[in-house]
Amino acid sequence: MTQAAESIVEVKEAVKRFPAPEGGVVTALDSISLKVQQGQFVTLLGPSGCGKTTLLRTISGFEDLDSGAVLIGGESVLGVPPYRRPVNTVFQNYALFPHLSVSGNVVYGLEVAGIKKTERDHRLKEALERVGLSGFERRKPAQLSGGQQQRVALARAIINQPKLLLLDEPLSALDRNLRQSMQLELKSLQHDLGICFLFVTHDQEEALTMSDQVVVLNQGRIEQIGPPDLLYHKPATRFVAEFIGDSAIFSGRIQNTEASPVLVTEDGLGIPVGRGPKPGDHATLIIRPENLSLAPPNPDDSVSILDAVLEQSVFRGATHQYVCVLPNGTSISATPTGADDEAFSRVSPGDSVQLAFRRNIPHLIIESQ
Amino acid sequence: MASKRDTRRLIALLTPGTLFLGIFFLGPLAVMVIFSFLTPGLYGGVEWNFYHWNYGRILGWADGDWEEFDPVYAQIFFRSVRLAFTNVLITLLICYPAALWVSGLSVRWRTFVVFIITLPFFVSLVVRLFCWVLILRPSGFLNTTLLGLGVISEPIDIIFTETAVLIGMAYILLPFMFLPLYASIEKLDYSLLEASSDLGANPFQTFLRVTLPSTLPGIAAGAVLVFIPSLGNFIVPDLLGGAKVLMIGNLVEQQFLSARNWPFGSALSVMIMLVMFLAIVIYLRRIGRSEIVR
Amino acid sequence: MKHPWLNRLLSVHGLLFLFFVYAPIIIVVVYSFNSHPVNMMVWKDFTFDWYLSIFGQPTELNEQTLYVESTDQLLAAVKNSLLVAGTTTTFSTLVGTAMALAVYRYYFRLKPFYQGLLFMPMVMPDIVLGIALLVFFVNFSIKLGLMSIIIGHCTFLISYVFIVVSARLAGMDNTLEEASADLGAGPWITFKRVTLPLILPGVVGGALLAFIISMDDLVITYFIAGVDSTTLPVFIYGMLRRGVKPEINAIATLMLVFSFLIASLGLYFRKRS
Repeated sequence: MTQAAESIVEVKEAVKRFPAPEGGVVTALDSISLKVQQGQFVTLLGPSGCGKTTLLRTISGFEDLDSGAVLIGGESVLGVPPYRRPVNTVFQNYALFPHLSVSGNVVYGLEVAGIKKTERDHRLKEALERVGLSGFERRKPAQLSGGQQQRVALARAIINQPKLLLLDEPLSALDRNLRQSMQLELKSLQHDLGICFLFVTHDQEEALTMSDQVVVLNQGRIEQIGPPDLLYHKPATRFVAEFIGDSAIFSGRIQNTEASPVLVTEDGLGIPVGRGPKPGDHATLIIRPENLSLAPPNPDDSVSILDAVLEQSVFRGATHQYVCVLPNGTSISATPTGADDEAFSRVSPGDSVQLAFRRNIPHLIIESQ
Repeated sequence: MASKRDTRRLIALLTPGTLFLGIFFLGPLAVMVIFSFLTPGLYGGVEWNFYHWNYGRILGWADGDWEEFDPVYAQIFFRSVRLAFTNVLITLLICYPAALWVSGLSVRWRTFVVFIITLPFFVSLVVRLFCWVLILRPSGFLNTTLLGLGVISEPIDIIFTETAVLIGMAYILLPFMFLPLYASIEKLDYSLLEASSDLGANPFQTFLRVTLPSTLPGIAAGAVLVFIPSLGNFIVPDLLGGAKVLMIGNLVEQQFLSARNWPFGSALSVMIMLVMFLAIVIYLRRIGRSEIVR
Repeated sequence: MKHPWLNRLLSVHGLLFLFFVYAPIIIVVVYSFNSHPVNMMVWKDFTFDWYLSIFGQPTELNEQTLYVESTDQLLAAVKNSLLVAGTTTTFSTLVGTAMALAVYRYYFRLKPFYQGLLFMPMVMPDIVLGIALLVFFVNFSIKLGLMSIIIGHCTFLISYVFIVVSARLAGMDNTLEEASADLGAGPWITFKRVTLPLILPGVVGGALLAFIISMDDLVITYFIAGVDSTTLPVFIYGMLRRGVKPEINAIATLMLVFSFLIASLGLYFRKRS
């Protein structure tokens, strides 16, 4: 197989600007390049206004690019209207036709394409079975629950066997429990169909749960592309670290001491870090709460120690969250497990503690001078 | 989005309406404005000379030879404005409490009552006015009933008075005040009223400080929608006001259908249009300001 | 709320309000069945004679009070009204809907201009529009008659249809049209299968409104109707100006029934959507 056949969608240096309501120009897509491989579940993740929906709409054909190109199945779709593109969309509000029944909605694409009735009926049955809505054919969208409407929207899109399914925050209107079960269902649906899903969300948990690849977008630029665990454990930028998961983040310059390099923040806090960075480097240290525990009695070189005061402990079900304050006034949270949690729970609020983290675990982003 | 095909579709959708309204709406208004500056012919018709005395007759300058300035025109004009204002006040005072009442009903009753209230709006204007002619005329329902009950011994004169004109105008224009008022009162957030009374305001204070200010857009819309048709009305004063309560509309009608002084009639009509524009400008300013306050 | 006497006061006002709205109409309906030949406000007996009389049927009242000199004139007026209303409704519904689609489905620089242009005829006092049309038609030697009435009505009815349809379009989720395109439907199929069915209640509502207003228009028609193209409202207005006679009660009642029927039809369509 050639390279072109493998990537189902390719975006090349896409640029899109909008006039801002208060005057001036908003750059929604700032030279974005992206390749999506066949059969993957890819998520576009970012805060609102980061350009993820615009990117989706340039692929579905509802927005034109100012410059750059979009290739679907290796062919440029420049100037191709939405109704001639081999992709289908599940809209954020589902956009079900209120005047048509469930089956009318689902077979809409097939009818428009002039597919024969016998085949339509066959595929309708199959699609409704797949989303678990058999028997709902004659209902109107208004008679369905949010979750059921969501399934109709899915069935209506997948019945056309698109090369690529675009999903624009489809779960955001659902309540928490339903959202979690739909996440798993969507994932297994994608697996069964084997087609590529391009999923837009601002919910990092959703992105981590479902995706093979996550594209983190911020202000029209791609911050990082990678599988969920890579993004979590090795964020490429401070933005990705802040956006995904909880963490304490320290920025500063590296200074060499006799023992090991130390990251010194602007307000004078020194944190020993592992080998690697050179003195004078500007670096950002990311410490996840689950990597922090109380210091062992005789710490060795593999751990770093932070002096702090326990402010309060918060019950979190399986664990506790211990909120501590560092000498410079910064809050830092620890969520140790097992014996570490037990040891921590014996500390009273107001007591001094020594927090420890293993130097090889936290992530250090080095921006050389 | 703005592809060539979209532009072609847009033009196809807009062209018929643009041509029609351009020729048959803007065209006649332009011709009327031009006519208002022409010399009236001796036996009807016009002479194509510039002439500003048409406005002079109304507003107070005259040349003595051709057209006398007659204060009666200005008087009729101001009477029309005064009656239109009074009518706005009357309909507001009738409709505001009614709209409050309807918005306090249960949802099912609300829809029904609004339908019932707007239903007569679909009845022909002539028929609705005829009802009042029947009631108010000397041998009409009101006098017959009151005489029959012995409340009065002589028929009272009510038709052909300003009162009769105001009753008739209020009656036919009620829905124009009621609907905007109701729309803005219904949108009112009831928790605001509760908050106000929770903070110690009595119902009167709550009304004055919360209800009234937040329904101001509805009041303004209703006022404009009632004021404009009241101002130019000539059917109501014609049927219920007679020769005693002439309004500017009657004057216009006379100029066209009996006096045959079309330029003067056009000038009167342009005056009505100017007052209408003034009302709309004030309305838009008002609404613009209340939107900023929000 | 906590002030039952206030609420009671409001209810009393509300009922008086309804009384003020309906009493005059009820009086006319009731007295249209009154057989008193001299004073129509003194109740004598129940009769259908006034109804028969307006349709030219012989009745015992005919001798003294024959008023509708010619039933033919009345019927001709009704026919004119229906013809005018039918034509104007068709034309203004088509044009008004097209303009609503243009203004609310596309983005273009002249949009505020069109919104203003379509707002103007609705607020223009009818006497101003009426005489402007009269001056225009006479100046350009366009014959006054049914055609001039139809043109005159369309100038403001387009706006009414426009407003009703735009309200519907504004309430319609425009991602529905995107969804249709996304599923492979071109613009024409999208219009036929999604847009039109969804705005249809608005279009029907606008058409009914246009029909009622056209049937009812007095002032504009009064100025631009020719000699032999009288419509029903102008005809009745003429009768009223000459004096109040009992037949008008009957005609008014019939018109009431007709208006209520159309209004109920409109409500039915709105409920169904």
